[in-house]
Amino acid sequence: MSGSTPVVDANRTRNRIFVAAGTIVIVATYLYLILAQPAELAEGGLGTSALIALAGYLIGAGLIAAGAIHRLPTATLSLIPIAIVLNIAVGQLTAVLGLPLYLDSIGTVLVGVLAGPAAGAVTGALTNVIWGLTIGPIALPFAVTAVVIGVLAGYAARWGMFRRFYLAPVAGFVTGIVAALVSAPIAAFIFGGATGAGTGAIVAAFQAWGNSLLASTTLQGLLSDPLDKAITFTIVVIILFALPSRLRGRFPFVRQYNVFGKVAPVAPAEPAAPAEPEAPKA
Amino acid sequence: MTTLYLERASAVHRLNPVTKLVALLAIIAIVFAVPQWWVPLGIVVFVVVPAAVLARVGGRLLRLFLILLLPLLVVLFIVQGFFFPDGTTVLWQWGPARLTVEGLVFSLTIGSRLSALVLGSLVFVLTTHPARLMTSLTQAGMSAKIAYVISASLQIIPAFQERARSILLAQQARGLEIAGGPLRRARALLPLIAPLVLGMITDVDERSTAMEARAFGATPRPTSLTVVDDPLSERIGRWLLAATAAAVIVLVVVGVIA
Repeated sequence: MSGSTPVVDANRTRNRIFVAAGTIVIVATYLYLILAQPAELAEGGLGTSALIALAGYLIGAGLIAAGAIHRLPTATLSLIPIAIVLNIAVGQLTAVLGLPLYLDSIGTVLVGVLAGPAAGAVTGALTNVIWGLTIGPIALPFAVTAVVIGVLAGYAARWGMFRRFYLAPVAGFVTGIVAALVSAPIAAFIFGGATGAGTGAIVAAFQAWGNSLLASTTLQGLLSDPLDKAITFTIVVIILFALPSRLRGRFPFVRQYNVFGKVAPVAPAEPAAPAEPEAPKA
Repeated sequence: MTTLYLERASAVHRLNPVTKLVALLAIIAIVFAVPQWWVPLGIVVFVVVPAAVLARVGGRLLRLFLILLLPLLVVLFIVQGFFFPDGTTVLWQWGPARLTVEGLVFSLTIGSRLSALVLGSLVFVLTTHPARLMTSLTQAGMSAKIAYVISASLQIIPAFQERARSILLAQQARGLEIAGGPLRRARALLPLIAPLVLGMITDVDERSTAMEARAFGATPRPTSLTVVDDPLSERIGRWLLAATAAAVIVLVVVGVIA
């Protein structure tokens, strides 16, 4: 906007407001769709739920991405395009290998773990934009799911879920549950449960057992997403543990929150012999 | 570039990308607001397809429709036509599958909306060069950082795919099996991804040093090398489109269109 001032603090407040507003919009959209939906479907139509799902989620994801990208230093910004391409390349490779998984968020999780929730959110949102420009616009409504995955990966890293090898899949499983819940209204109200042949069959089965449309897409998501994200997080933790700690230690977020648990104790435990001078805080 | 963009000389291509984006968003808002299934279908037939034909990308649009959209529509009609939870007027029944009028109307509504959304976006992507889109959006006030990330990703894709392919060949030459059961194929993924990521993280340092040396992000609004035309008529058109979409949504919410 033309009204942006060069004062850093003003922009910071504005960005915080963007992120907070985006989060509120996404949560409000989800709650509205869950609470108001049964009444509307009983009247025999979709009502405004499809428009609210699409607009609320896209605006929320856009606000979070716009607010978050300004916080990122250049080193993180130059990591994001490569992570986006990694998402798309591995996602396609998985499809070529014929695996019954998506594995299209490895880059998003990687950036979230190395550079924090804000970077993860931007990677997720822009991955779906690039996906829309290169392969087809079907993935675009699901941008909010990618944002949620990136943010949760960042917080999981901050809370120490990547310090132990076995904690990462647990964090991935939980992320998958949240991702499934958030994306269920999109699958239900925008795609009518038909996001693919396999998923469509599962949705049809749940509906035949007497579940509502939204309940069926939620259950379908809960079948596939937690497993997919647990595997994704496992792949990411294997890759990151295989990296030399010199490379991992380059990221300020990793040092600040002691993401891998092994690097930082060097400084407080052996104050007599610091390996390298502490980087100034941003 | 591996985007869907097709180079053609047409009026649709020459439009300011922001105008096309506003038109696309207006179409999507209208299509998802109005409950009648024939409105989205009408927009596809009388707006989206003529625009594609005018831009001479009709053939490609048809092919993408067959690859991307048609399978989804078929699944949609099977899932919701036969298994719609709230269907009461049963036309035909076989076991758990019940063909209902409500289910068919529901799939028609979702299907026509989805068609408008996907085909409209495809015409936008087919006729808008990503670089031109980024330039015009930056001119309209979007952060240069977003433009950088999107443009850089699009430029890296071919190089990255090439690298992935050579890693795959190198690992196969060392005896990596990519055929076999799902578990074996899953195990094949890791030796492919690990070298990719290692290379990627070592690249990042050089890239960011180069960018900072060229003062990336130092100027809030840098001068653009290329300027995308934005005539007054298009600016007025954008406001009219936005106003139309807003009016339709208001009419739906108030209950005039129901």
